[in-house]
Amino acid sequence: MENREVKIHPVKYRTYVFVWMGLVILTGLTYTVAVGIHPAGWAIFVALAIAGTKSGLVLNYFMHLKSERLVIFKVIIPLVMAVFLVFILLTFSDVAFRGVVK
Amino acid sequence: MDEAKEAVFEEARDYTGAKLGMWLFILSELLLFGGMFILYSGYRYKNPADFHHASRELEVVLGTLNTIILLTSSLSVATSIAAIQKGQRKLSMVLLMATMALGLLFLANKGFEWGTKIEHGIYPNSPTLLARSKGEILFFGLYYVMTGLHGLHVLVGVCVFSVMLILIAKGTLNQMRFVPLENAGLYWHLVDIIWIFLYPLFYLIT
Repeated sequence: MENREVKIHPVKYRTYVFVWMGLVILTGLTYTVAVGIHPAGWAIFVALAIAGTKSGLVLNYFMHLKSERLVIFKVIIPLVMAVFLVFILLTFSDVAFRGVVK
Repeated sequence: MDEAKEAVFEEARDYTGAKLGMWLFILSELLLFGGMFILYSGYRYKNPADFHHASRELEVVLGTLNTIILLTSSLSVATSIAAIQKGQRKLSMVLLMATMALGLLFLANKGFEWGTKIEHGIYPNSPTLLARSKGEILFFGLYYVMTGLHGLHVLVGVCVFSVMLILIAKGTLNQMRFVPLENAGLYWHLVDIIWIFLYPLFYLIT
């Protein structure tokens, strides 16, 4: 408890390299697979799912969310995503029905 | 409690506070970009064909290359932080310089990409662009604003890292005190995450 900065166990370089390799592979996957998906409407969902997975890797490993002990660090990202989802749903319920409901 | 111990205690308390502050800033940044992502989705939903056509004009290879560059820079800054925590000061500095170089390379590519588009007369409010369909005008408007704001973040990140580099060189940041570098790293990863979403949304529209 005397000095927390020293007590942190640095992540192994190897772990970071593995995460980076995963990120590059997922980028390749977006570039090759996601683009060729039919119907095209599904391609965006696959591309966004891959982007979400990549963000998860960056958040958990590079940004150390995985090893955070305090609960607040664990909940803030899902909380902001939830707020963002509300914004999207409200905006889309407006845009999608414009001109339909009079 | 003597003075030295008190100083240590202060630092220990500051660690969580500083990181939490940085996270709050990151979340506000996410919402800033989030607003633009909503705008993008709304316009794309209304103009799917125009967005598709306009997207095909972007350099996919350059966009993919920039994605790899930014992902690699995230790796180098993460390892730079791990290195300083392990007391490997020189390695930490080299990795930080590599991060900055990759950031500048990203910006150079982006500049080249923008330059080519501008040469073709495609820039906000240009006569060539205004002659096109509404959806394409919106696509390129969003393209310039979103990648521009992102590029600005990359530039700020490189500047912040150059300050960190000086602080490590002077010994202000070391194995015992590295939170500013860690926070700068968090910011850089945020910039990376935003690009992870910008890449498929602008370059890979089917």
